[in-house]
Amino acid sequence: MTIIESPVQVAQQRERELPPPEQREVVFDVSGLTVRYGDNPALKDVSLEVYRNFVTAFIGPSGCGKSTFIRCFNRMNDLIPSAAVEGTILYHGEDLYAPAVDAVEVRKRIGMVFQKPNPFPKSIHANVAFGPRVLGMTDDLDGRVERALQQAALWDEVKDRLDESALSLSGGQQQRLCIARCLAVEPDVLLMDEPASALDPISTTRIEDLMHELKREYTIVIVTHNMQQAARIADMTAFFSVQIEDGRRSGILVEYDATPTIFTKPADKRTEDYVTGRFG
Amino acid sequence: MSAASLSTGRRRGVWRGRIFVGLLLLSMAVGFLALGTLCVDVLQKGLAYFDSVLLTNGPSSDPDIAGARPAILATLYLGVLLILFTVPIGVGTAIYLEEYADRHRWPNRLLELNIQNLAAVPSIVYGILGLAFLVRGLGLGRVLLAGALILTLLVLPTVIIAAREAIRAVPSSIREGAYALGATQWQVVSRQVLPAAIPGIATGSILALARAIGETAPLILIGALTFISFNPTVMGPFTALPVQIYNWTKLPDEKFKALAAAAIIVLLIMVLLLNAGAIWLRNRYQKRW
Amino acid sequence: MRISLQEELDQLEASLQEEGALVLRALRGCLNALSRQDAELADEVIAFDDEVDETYIGIEEGIQSLLARQTPVAIDLRNVLAVLHINLHLERMADYCVTVAKLTKLVHDSTPDPTLTEALEDMGTRAEEMIQTALDSFADRDVASAESLVDLDELIDGANRRVVHQILSLSADPDLREWGLRMLLVSRCLERIGDHAVDIGEQTAFLVSGQFREFTDASH
Repeated sequence: MTIIESPVQVAQQRERELPPPEQREVVFDVSGLTVRYGDNPALKDVSLEVYRNFVTAFIGPSGCGKSTFIRCFNRMNDLIPSAAVEGTILYHGEDLYAPAVDAVEVRKRIGMVFQKPNPFPKSIHANVAFGPRVLGMTDDLDGRVERALQQAALWDEVKDRLDESALSLSGGQQQRLCIARCLAVEPDVLLMDEPASALDPISTTRIEDLMHELKREYTIVIVTHNMQQAARIADMTAFFSVQIEDGRRSGILVEYDATPTIFTKPADKRTEDYVTGRFG
Repeated sequence: MSAASLSTGRRRGVWRGRIFVGLLLLSMAVGFLALGTLCVDVLQKGLAYFDSVLLTNGPSSDPDIAGARPAILATLYLGVLLILFTVPIGVGTAIYLEEYADRHRWPNRLLELNIQNLAAVPSIVYGILGLAFLVRGLGLGRVLLAGALILTLLVLPTVIIAAREAIRAVPSSIREGAYALGATQWQVVSRQVLPAAIPGIATGSILALARAIGETAPLILIGALTFISFNPTVMGPFTALPVQIYNWTKLPDEKFKALAAAAIIVLLIMVLLLNAGAIWLRNRYQKRW
Repeated sequence: MRISLQEELDQLEASLQEEGALVLRALRGCLNALSRQDAELADEVIAFDDEVDETYIGIEEGIQSLLARQTPVAIDLRNVLAVLHINLHLERMADYCVTVAKLTKLVHDSTPDPTLTEALEDMGTRAEEMIQTALDSFADRDVASAESLVDLDELIDGANRRVVHQILSLSADPDLREWGLRMLLVSRCLERIGDHAVDIGEQTAFLVSGQFREFTDASH
């Protein structure tokens, strides 16, 4: 009499399925964050957690404060004199805005790639080596440069012309160079402010594939105005929107959840209106 | 739409355009003509005396053996000192104003205003200033160093403005990128902003220098002597090429006027070389990156 | 390129093939229960359907998530739609196996007609072949192999007709007649499983050619 064998573990268990909430490691713990430029609150009362080795995307209409928000994570808002930050951001438990914290140290661990590729007007090698040099990581500089370019999937294309100007590269290559530049200082987190919006579709896909690989080692946070991009690559998605109070516009966090949920059954109607394209 | 409607035959704007271009060409022609006439005149008068005697001999009452060697040397020394003084001060001020100063605080606004004004002050005023404060006030005497300092003050506003423009021309995305990698403000300025601004700064400095070596009034006022037969030293009496030219033109003998023309040719060559150098520098750095 | 899309598509297909393996198991189980008149085995088959349903729901959710997030087009879209349909067909097949098991349980005490039992066993084996062929031709994107399912289906249809004939000529023994009626339904279930296998073949052809067409017209 044959008994049916024990059931096969169905392939619902994806190879790299997201760890359940209890097992996630928190990299950033944001609570009650408000950013003002002068009197205007650009961003009001944002609270969320960013998890390790996740790609977290911030989406929303223009003016909702998502770029302002991401720049808080590496204290780039310090460069704007009128910007004031209230609330806390804990990075691995440490308050990023504590008085004793050195912004340079913060930026070493938390790197940033910008919307428009901004290679320095120097050679490719000098570009990637700049970060390690200013931070005093000058041992095995060539090795660092090579590793960073390998991780950014650019090494094969430039290995024979490291001394050529970085400006001779195409747009997509320049952006990967900027990513390599960040990776050369061995950061913990990569912040990307609309990294592919200035690129053609093929370069965009390459950058997205790169993010998919990089998240194994790094934690990635990305701002994008292209919500399909967020849908494709993000593990968690935060939807921001604009709130008008006393005639002032400020950005607020509407919903933050796993990407499949945001794009299949979002909890908030505002989120649904935005992702279905019925917004505004 | 029929094909005929594309060629209406009415060409209103065309004549206006042509007249405008004509006027532009005319302005250019005026400029070229004036310059050309000057050059031709000078060359005609001075070419005969443009020889090694001019360059190697000191001044003399005999026009056939008179030369402008001390004056040429003094002008060269002045040029070197000028660069040594103006570039650090000028670039330093520009960096402070562009990168470090908070624009909203009043001392900085006052500073900016002053720099703009100083660039417009007539050079003879600088001469009086130099006489009062450097020659007599500081007790330097009528020496080359005083001349260099006066010329420094004269061209410093120009250099500062040129350096500021060059620094401003460095895109802020470069600075942001450098900050985001963990560079301190000093590292950003010294490793990214300055290297990128050097072509603009160099061009501005050379152009300022080219203007300065042709200045006569302030040098006369602080006592550039008319007759120096020995080579100048930094702390000694001096004369300069423009002053020498001025003095020669005052003499009655026609030959001295021809000598003056020859010296003008030398001065023109110096200025042309400096300007050419500035252009070469600008082109070289533009193509490089 | 588009690593995550490709990974997800591969995962869905792998799940689908797993589901297919589960369905084959369920079918073998219910056939064995039928030929041995084993009520316990039939119960196991019925319980096993939960596994298939779990896989089915997992694939449904995976498809929904993939469509929402990856916006597949062209062949990727056809791939997802094919998986969607095949998922449905497999789940229906599993339900038919449950029906067969339930029918077996109802008449497990009766005395079977051995010829009929053999015929049904044959049909079942044919159905197993068809499921395997359907799954393989989908995995290999083999249209010719998918089209061959039509011929295999012919065999089942022929067998079904013979079984019906046989049942009609059974003796008047009420016990046997009841068993015969139940077996009629079993035959019907097996025939329907064959039809679903052909449907899976049609999805393979759709995926490859971009056109959906029925392999045979309804008059057949």
